[in-house]
Amino acid sequence: MGETETIFKEFKEHSVAEFFKKNKQMLGFSGKTRSLTTIVHELVTNSLDACEEAKIAPEISVEVKEIDKERYIVKTIDNGPGIPEKHLGKALGMMLAGTKFHRYCQQRGQQGIGASGVTMYSQITTGKPIKAVSGYDGTVIRAEISVDFKSNSPRINNLTKEPGEFRGLSYECEVSDAKYDKSSYGVYEYLKRTAIANPHSQITLLEPDGTRVVFPRSVNEIPPKPQSVQPHPMGISTNDLMEFAQHDKESRKLGSFLQNNFARVSAAKVEELAQVAKEVDFNKAPKDLQWNDAEAIIKAIKLVKWIAPATDSVKPIGEAQITKSLTNMLSPEHLAVVERSPKIYSGGIPFVVEAAVAYGGQAGRKYADKTGGDIMRFANRAPLLFDSSGCGITEAIRAVDWKRYNIRNFDEEPITVLVNISSVHIPYTGAGKQAISDDQEVYDEVKNAVMEAARNVQRYIAGLTRDADRKARRKAILRYVTQLSKDLVDLANEGKAPEIEKELIKLIEEKYSAQIEDDDSGDEEVAHANENRKDEGGEEGEE
Amino acid sequence: MAKATTASANTNVKKDEKTVVSKLENLGKDMILEVKREETPSFTTTLRGKSNVLYDEGIGCIRLGQKTEERRFVNVGQARKFMQTVAIANKCKKFLKENAHTSIRGLYYQLKFSIGEDLDEDLFSEQSESNPLVEDLEVALDVKREDLNLNTDRKGVVAGPLVLRDRFGGSEDVIDCTKQGRSGWMIPSDVDNGMDFVNVDADYVLVVEKDALWQRLNEDKFWKKENCILITPKGQASRGCRRLIRRLANKKLPVYCFTDCDAWGWYIYWAIKAGSINLAYLANDISTPEARFIGVTMQDIKDYDFLEKLTIKAKDVDLKRAEEMLAYPWISRHKEWVSELKTVLTTKKKIEQDALQGPKLSFVGDYLREKISKKKFLP
Repeated sequence: MGETETIFKEFKEHSVAEFFKKNKQMLGFSGKTRSLTTIVHELVTNSLDACEEAKIAPEISVEVKEIDKERYIVKTIDNGPGIPEKHLGKALGMMLAGTKFHRYCQQRGQQGIGASGVTMYSQITTGKPIKAVSGYDGTVIRAEISVDFKSNSPRINNLTKEPGEFRGLSYECEVSDAKYDKSSYGVYEYLKRTAIANPHSQITLLEPDGTRVVFPRSVNEIPPKPQSVQPHPMGISTNDLMEFAQHDKESRKLGSFLQNNFARVSAAKVEELAQVAKEVDFNKAPKDLQWNDAEAIIKAIKLVKWIAPATDSVKPIGEAQITKSLTNMLSPEHLAVVERSPKIYSGGIPFVVEAAVAYGGQAGRKYADKTGGDIMRFANRAPLLFDSSGCGITEAIRAVDWKRYNIRNFDEEPITVLVNISSVHIPYTGAGKQAISDDQEVYDEVKNAVMEAARNVQRYIAGLTRDADRKARRKAILRYVTQLSKDLVDLANEGKAPEIEKELIKLIEEKYSAQIEDDDSGDEEVAHANENRKDEGGEEGEE
Repeated sequence: MAKATTASANTNVKKDEKTVVSKLENLGKDMILEVKREETPSFTTTLRGKSNVLYDEGIGCIRLGQKTEERRFVNVGQARKFMQTVAIANKCKKFLKENAHTSIRGLYYQLKFSIGEDLDEDLFSEQSESNPLVEDLEVALDVKREDLNLNTDRKGVVAGPLVLRDRFGGSEDVIDCTKQGRSGWMIPSDVDNGMDFVNVDADYVLVVEKDALWQRLNEDKFWKKENCILITPKGQASRGCRRLIRRLANKKLPVYCFTDCDAWGWYIYWAIKAGSINLAYLANDISTPEARFIGVTMQDIKDYDFLEKLTIKAKDVDLKRAEEMLAYPWISRHKEWVSELKTVLTTKKKIEQDALQGPKLSFVGDYLREKISKKKFLP
């Protein structure tokens, strides 16, 4: 929180755009690979959110073209609702002007820096405006957009407007100081993970070398439109309060402003707050709210008892969706998916943790000729690729005693662990939004979810070990058959060694016939295991 | 081929080579039959663990009980051993057919080869693997390893009126134990197969624990004067030695044992008389319950004054062995022995056979003669 607070304090002195221009690493523009991934992340996230809101099954294409050394043209096209002319400039060329921030609901992007940040980066590194095409209601608008840093306002050039069939948004920028690679921090991995967490979308990537990668849609249902909910007081920060106050044009007094904008705030609660924050005049107009007033109110909120918020605003990916997309993407030998019931952290913020453990198949991270454990972190379906070591999810997964689950060494097994945290307010560690704080309640919940999934996988691996054991036993006896047959025929002075050998092999194979069947029907086994998993998962959830 | 004496007193004694070969062949035929019936090849052997060792009061020997165990090939824990056992059986059959003998170590080398080109495993990797399997076969087929042409270490020497015929290695020799000079006839591993008594014209058998005392009595021509067969097992009696004593007892000869007066010496006597736990599976083939103990006893120290001065301090191992022996039911049933052992434990003294040479070298003979004539024996 502290970092964000600092950002907004500084807004008072500089233009927002100026500030971010100086501190672009805060937006994820640090490092060449990461900068490119951040660009794709911001654009794709916007597209997914827009499609979801308009109830459209997203089809997004991403093209990365290398035009010079470390200089790229990045172009995304979606089939979303497009952006109307009057919002186009603000949406793509003004920092913190997005439509999302003031509508408090669970979405991928939260602060509205997104696409404008990319526009800014393009401007800083190549001096070029971005080219946007927005299609809606039979109209197609083309424009070149850039950010006026001094005033934090959009500059729109060469705008054309004509009738057309295209619906959606096309965004093209030229950036330098970037690098495309296939590392675990690169665009490819980012889109792959995005596809896993968003199985209702179809994402196409055209790589610089001309390779076309399609991450196909694996479920047809579009996730429900995120509900806009009033934030719970326990979940807001000082600057949230400031922002809300600036935008509330209806409430006359601070007291009614709090009641009108936040959940579970009654007149009685305002009284209680006033008792604690004596220095604040709750009768003043919201627009006169000062930073120190807001700080005092936030402090007071922490000291007052609140009714927990409604949890139905949190929308996880869904067990069936994760199962489909991971099966599709990793073809694992075994998969366990766990969706936990909603929990509350920091006394008032609802969240839901989903965890999946995939074993075998394409699961795990491939190094040279080895495979090791892979961790896929998501927050509200958006992949978190960076700052892994400082992330509460990573810490929780690492803290699991994997040996207990028949995973001898997490870093040497074909295993992928997926964790998605869904919440209106994800506890990020910083403005880069790449790591989750190690808040005890969130940490415990993640660890419990992963362990629940791991228990299921453990049973599968134990079965594998048992089978391998039986196979080894069969083999251990079979190796003596030839010698025994020779001696037996010699000793008895009757029979033929090859015949005795054949009989003995038959005998041994029969005794271990159950295992042979297992070997031959591996695929079916996985399917059955998946069905069982669901049943078992349900039972465990109730325990 | 003439047989001067028959060895039919104990039907279980001498195995005709052909009988043993057919026993081996039948073992194989039974297994092949099992395979054809789609069952795992198997054979039954008697358990040789301590839980199945008992003292047979009727016969007076230590033998195995009734507990049996089935060895099965289609069993991960037994497969390798089973294959090895059959390989041993097959190899022994060849030895018998070729009329060749070897030791267990020789057998081990005969069977130490890879079980397959693509298998990094030898049929036998250590000799210790083969020993219990040979015992399995002995018990399962009711034969001794000597019957399988497997030799054991020779130990023990004989002098006296005993003539044997030894058919071995294609030749046939008559051995007269009165004509073996100062060294005597060394008891072979196998005293049954190809070994016949031509003439046993003695009054009794005298077993002397120590070679030194045997040499003393041989020099004194004790066996000639007393018309006895003089044997020394040179310490603990070997299988062959025990088996020879048994065969001589079968000729109705009394057997007298003469050992040190300490738990160790007495234990040698008891192994000859009742057998031992390790060889319980050979039971009455190697035990001689009729044997009697001459001495040296604790009572002798009182009866012969000079011995008092010649006692030495019993060692811890002697005392420990004495305590063990008191716990054996076949020993503790004799009050004389309980008394002897308790005396050792209280006085903590012992006396060696050699001490009887104290007054004069030939006193040993006088001592033995007196004891035997007065029948001063312990049971």
